[in-house]
Amino acid sequence: MKLGFIGLGAMGRPMALNLMKGGHEMAVWARRAQSAQPLLDAGARAFATPAEVARNSDVVFTMVTAGQDVEAVVLGQDGIVHGARAGSVVIDCSTIPTATIRRVGMALREKQIELLDAPVSGGEPGAVAGTLSIMVGGDETVFERVRALLACIGKTLVYIGPMGAGQVAKAANQLALVVSIQGIAEAMVFARANGVDFEPIWKALMQGLAGSKMLEIVGQRMMQREFVMGIDASLHHKDAHIVLQTAKESCTATPGAALAAQAFNALFSEPGTRWDSAAILKVLEAASGFPEREGR
Amino acid sequence: MNLAFIGLGIMGRPMALHLLHGGHAMRVHARRAASMQPLVDAGAIACASPAEAARGADVVFVMVSDTPDVEQVVLGPAGAIEGAAPGSVLVDMSTISPVVTRAIAQRLGQQGIDMLDAPVSGGEKGALEAALSIMVGGKSETFERVRPLFECMGKNIVRIGDHGAGQVAKACNQIVGAVTLEAVAEGMTLARKNGVDPAKVRDALLAGYAWSRVLEMHGARMVSRDFTPGFKARLHRKDLRIVVDTAAQLDIALPQSALIAQHLNALVGMGCGEEDSAAVVKVLEKMSGAQA
Repeated sequence: MKLGFIGLGAMGRPMALNLMKGGHEMAVWARRAQSAQPLLDAGARAFATPAEVARNSDVVFTMVTAGQDVEAVVLGQDGIVHGARAGSVVIDCSTIPTATIRRVGMALREKQIELLDAPVSGGEPGAVAGTLSIMVGGDETVFERVRALLACIGKTLVYIGPMGAGQVAKAANQLALVVSIQGIAEAMVFARANGVDFEPIWKALMQGLAGSKMLEIVGQRMMQREFVMGIDASLHHKDAHIVLQTAKESCTATPGAALAAQAFNALFSEPGTRWDSAAILKVLEAASGFPEREGR
Repeated sequence: MNLAFIGLGIMGRPMALHLLHGGHAMRVHARRAASMQPLVDAGAIACASPAEAARGADVVFVMVSDTPDVEQVVLGPAGAIEGAAPGSVLVDMSTISPVVTRAIAQRLGQQGIDMLDAPVSGGEKGALEAALSIMVGGKSETFERVRPLFECMGKNIVRIGDHGAGQVAKACNQIVGAVTLEAVAEGMTLARKNGVDPAKVRDALLAGYAWSRVLEMHGARMVSRDFTPGFKARLHRKDLRIVVDTAAQLDIALPQSALIAQHLNALVGMGCGEEDSAAVVKVLEKMSGAQA
């Protein structure tokens, strides 16, 4: 199939490469030309605009950062909508607000262009290994048409429901993550304030009802005080605010998510630092006066 | 060994029976005589007070509801401290305040009685199947002496640290479990309010980074709307209150724990205290007018 891919960052690049390994022709566009180079080396063709990419594709993937980026590459000047044929499919894999994706989908539908929202979870390692979880919203028959393509980049493909449902699932996913990260951080502060080493506690907790993938991964980083590598906290920060925006639009009370978003806000009060989400621990420790209180 | 067991509720009764089946002699005490009957039928001796039960015992087990109950049966009038001999061990398996635990351990220590705090997780099912997780605080050599008895009741037996450390671990367990419960409940509510099927969202989330035992078990209850306990909301609330009280005593900020404690208050206030704590999703739904 003739594919297009727009947005070749840390996630998009390996995803596009995995699609090419599936034997598909690839047209690409990236804001920065050098991002496209690894794809061109693998045999992809570069085009000057998203519209040009769409003109040469049956299915166009987009993987960009924010809602406004999706709007720009799909509906903006030289956007996909100006090049895509009726009957072609746009698959947006970005994590953006549900309202934005529904708006974009409506505009594409006027030109008989199909849209699936297909946000992913699994991070850069999942993108490289082709083992992402993909949560899909849109027309189910369109999903079935492109399922084989999604199988090139992901392992768990779940059709959730109509347009925007994929983003709702991803928002629910991020909500569960950020709230539980803060819960884990609170447990660690609690243990420290009580003068008890967290490591044997962590072992006990992993066996029981409190066990989770976040306790396993982020819990270990917190114990090792490894606050820089791993999950880029700025993405969780962004996603927490997407959750709050979606909650506002659907008039849903999500108090835990609101609280977690505040902790992420506080984390970025020191500008210019790249944090892992495990650094939420530092915010909670600071709130209770650590490490200074241990010197008192 | 000569054992005593004080507190024979839904947790204590099966735990005491497992110890009896391990071939030990047992004296028991419970507030209501009827609670003692199944143990007496199995060969235990019923006693009128904790002190009487503790008389002659090598190890005294306590399994009651809350911090004041432990203070009462251990240090109160006719409490275990009055009957227990120097050199014996008192093992408190209730979930109570780590701060009060340390004070009790000190009082007992003055009489030559050693204490272990050994709260459990795994619920009634774990107690019946002798598959509890037991988190232990106290001296290492005391722990080793009692370990074969713990093995009659549980599977994952971890010594965490000194006096109170078992209760701290249990509190950490309740923090992580309860905050994850809030996370899952909010996710399910966000899906429902957006007209998206929570069952499918749960399926998708189970495959990724959001996996947790709570999403698996409590998430299923939220989807099926079956809130048969499980772990009753009013007991979960009690455990969170211990966390929040301890946080206040130690001047530490635990904002998410405080929030979920409020939601469990609301749930009990709605008359759902006897339901599984997964029913906390109903509080969030009520807030947003999204009843299923």
